[in-house]
Amino acid sequence: MIRDHASIDELLAIRALGGLDGDDAARLERELAEHGDCDECRRLEAEHNEVAGMLALSLDPRPVDEGMVDRIVAQEQRRAPREEQGPERIVIASSVDELSSRRDARLGRWQAAFGVAAAIALILAFVLATRPGGVEVPGTIVAFQGERGELAMAYTPGERGALVWGAGLPDPGGGKTYELWMIEGDNPVRGACLAPTDGAVAAYLDADLSSADLMAVTVESTDCPSAPTTDPIFTAELT
Amino acid sequence: MTLGRTGHEPMRSADPAGTPDETLLERVGAGDDGAFRELFARYAAVSHALAFRLVRQAQVAEEIVQEAFLAVWRMPDRYDPARGSVRSWLMGTVHHRAVDAVRREQAQRRRADQAAAVASRVAEDPTDDVVASLDLPRERRLVQKALAGLPEEQRDVIQRMYFDGMSQSQIAERTGLPLGTVKSRTLLAMRRLRTHLGEVAP
Repeated sequence: MIRDHASIDELLAIRALGGLDGDDAARLERELAEHGDCDECRRLEAEHNEVAGMLALSLDPRPVDEGMVDRIVAQEQRRAPREEQGPERIVIASSVDELSSRRDARLGRWQAAFGVAAAIALILAFVLATRPGGVEVPGTIVAFQGERGELAMAYTPGERGALVWGAGLPDPGGGKTYELWMIEGDNPVRGACLAPTDGAVAAYLDADLSSADLMAVTVESTDCPSAPTTDPIFTAELT
Repeated sequence: MTLGRTGHEPMRSADPAGTPDETLLERVGAGDDGAFRELFARYAAVSHALAFRLVRQAQVAEEIVQEAFLAVWRMPDRYDPARGSVRSWLMGTVHHRAVDAVRREQAQRRRADQAAAVASRVAEDPTDDVVASLDLPRERRLVQKALAGLPEEQRDVIQRMYFDGMSQSQIAERTGLPLGTVKSRTLLAMRRLRTHLGEVAP
């Protein structure tokens, strides 16, 4: 079957340059999912990424601090033993105010986080199956804390992208939707709008989470404002 | 773990004078810090230039470069050859982080005002004097020429989106152009750049 790639081509070009936002980000994910295992989609993506990467070469190089590479190597060596602790990376938090006091209680929440993940594994499987070209399964699962419903996110610390899924979520109301935020310090950065269907939601978040300390979900109007206008109904701390 | 990935042939970032980037990255995956240092030597300075161009703050730019290369050192297996060369992956990693930093700035208008002042300081940067005294590498000349060869309206969109970190919606808002026009100009510019840069693309 011959598919039209005009829209995907345009949106991939914009994404490669870092300019994709609003509904178009979700639209691109949806169209890519519809195309499934699509060689032409991957070719276009690689082509646009390549051109975007070359644009940086037009700039005059700026030397970096000579000690930076040594610091990076040394930092990794210091960090390595912690990687073996695994389950400590699973954390639940109920509010921003409670986060600091709950950092010492991470192991006790491992089981709860796993339960959320298992309860909605089918939804995650659907998301994975519909991602074009397959997807790497992120290494850390975070369960959000909220009064009603279950929401979880899988991601790899330091890397772009996350899978978000949930079940039993209350209807946000007419003209309303859920909006996911990455909280960096005190600053909320827009992540994605999530519209549940029959209380369930599954989405791929194409964003850099490396600077985020906390994830939060608020109820917003369907035009997805650039800053939250209500208090969070779900929060989860990132490690 | 990777599920069902069927990629294209890797786009090789061949350095005619040395080991290909992809080979270096494989060695990084095996814990070879020498290979990592070679990748760092190749791309840290241009990464720094890109980050600084976007965030306009020296310390923040250095932090972005350090974080990006730390991610490379920790998780080189995140590179997917089906999505482009190692070079484009590295530059994309830096660019994403820098754009995120830019968008964290709530006072966009104030930052734009500051940018004009910073631009004058950039021109006085002693680093630039040193660079200006050297011959530009062939690739840099070609990319600059390709950018200069774009129609002005297309170049403006590329400048705002890639080098200033503006989203398509922000560009439409700032310029008063319909969003559809911003998007179509972006695609036209990328296609033209691809045509002109084809000979130096990996």
